[in-house]
Amino acid sequence: MAMNPMEQFAIKPIVPLQLPASWGGYDVSFTNQSLLMVLVAIAASLFLTLATSKKSLVPSRAQSMAEMSYEFVINMMQSSTGEDGLRFFPFVFTIFIFVLFSNFFGMIPGSFTVTSQIAVTFSLASLVILTVIVTGFIKHGLGFLKLFVPKAPWYLLILLVPIEVISFFTRPISLSVRLFANMLAGHTMLAVFGGFVVLLGGAGGVLTLLSLAPMALIVAIMLLELLVAFLQAYVFAILTCIYLNEALHLHDNH
Amino acid sequence: MAAQEPEKLRELGERLDDVQKRNAGGATRPPPTQLGIASRFATELGAALLVGGAFGWGLDWLFGHFGIHTRPLFIVVFFVLGAAAGIRNVMRAAAELNAEIAAHPAPSVKDDEEN
Repeated sequence: MAMNPMEQFAIKPIVPLQLPASWGGYDVSFTNQSLLMVLVAIAASLFLTLATSKKSLVPSRAQSMAEMSYEFVINMMQSSTGEDGLRFFPFVFTIFIFVLFSNFFGMIPGSFTVTSQIAVTFSLASLVILTVIVTGFIKHGLGFLKLFVPKAPWYLLILLVPIEVISFFTRPISLSVRLFANMLAGHTMLAVFGGFVVLLGGAGGVLTLLSLAPMALIVAIMLLELLVAFLQAYVFAILTCIYLNEALHLHDNH
Repeated sequence: MAAQEPEKLRELGERLDDVQKRNAGGATRPPPTQLGIASRFATELGAALLVGGAFGWGLDWLFGHFGIHTRPLFIVVFFVLGAAAGIRNVMRAAAELNAEIAAHPAPSVKDDEEN
């Protein structure tokens, strides 16, 4: 029996597809990763549309969940970006719901965690940073570059400007690594303890009874992972808001 | 009975306002865990080194493309700048955390300070 805790992150093609060599010859297979992303998108859209379709004054359980997620994100945006940041609400809400659903879908045993792939989280983070840069340049023109110029004498600026530029470009990396590392670590931990249960359970004698200990631990870690799944989606969304806020209101940053 | 109702309604309204005010305040951000803080600082620092190195590598490549051999000068310089940027990031993150703790002090911490 395969006991590799990293095996769960392997990407397996479901429908193999290869671009012709004239198009670069890339492997564009429909994989378990793609399948889960499609499922997440469908589930999120279905949940939000069906839950709010009745529009009853006294909300049902599903409707109040949908409304709560809406209010949660809009409150977060109001406190971190202010009123003029609210035009980015659809963007932030989509990211939040996508990450949240991906994380929760990953918690289903036997499924696949989309957000444990750095390619996914880095794409999301790049999208966020590109939005921030484009917004900044549209709103402030070249004045956006003042973001990289702290208040300091000119001879220090020679050092400080490159530092600020580097610091700015660490954002997509720290944003994506945080989500990816949390999901990867959590799911690896679950698989490792799951392996303990199987090994001890198959050992026979007193050791079989001992397998209950890692089992109990898995339950605890599972609960923790549910919290982490929500928390990381929240962190991703609020950092998006904070970065957008900086692009929108240059003056009051730092 | 009928006369009491507006009174009751106003009371209910006031109670609702109270709850809303309480919820609007601090409930949005859950407190970060120790592990979360540690991993955040580590990623900030590591990411800055990575970006600094990548910038230097890219500049070296760019200059090399035009026939000016700077390698490994820019990689060295930008790696050091990356380290500085990483420390700047960590300090900024720490300042944010401190501001957060000051804004919403944990009850146990507050008690310690008062005693």
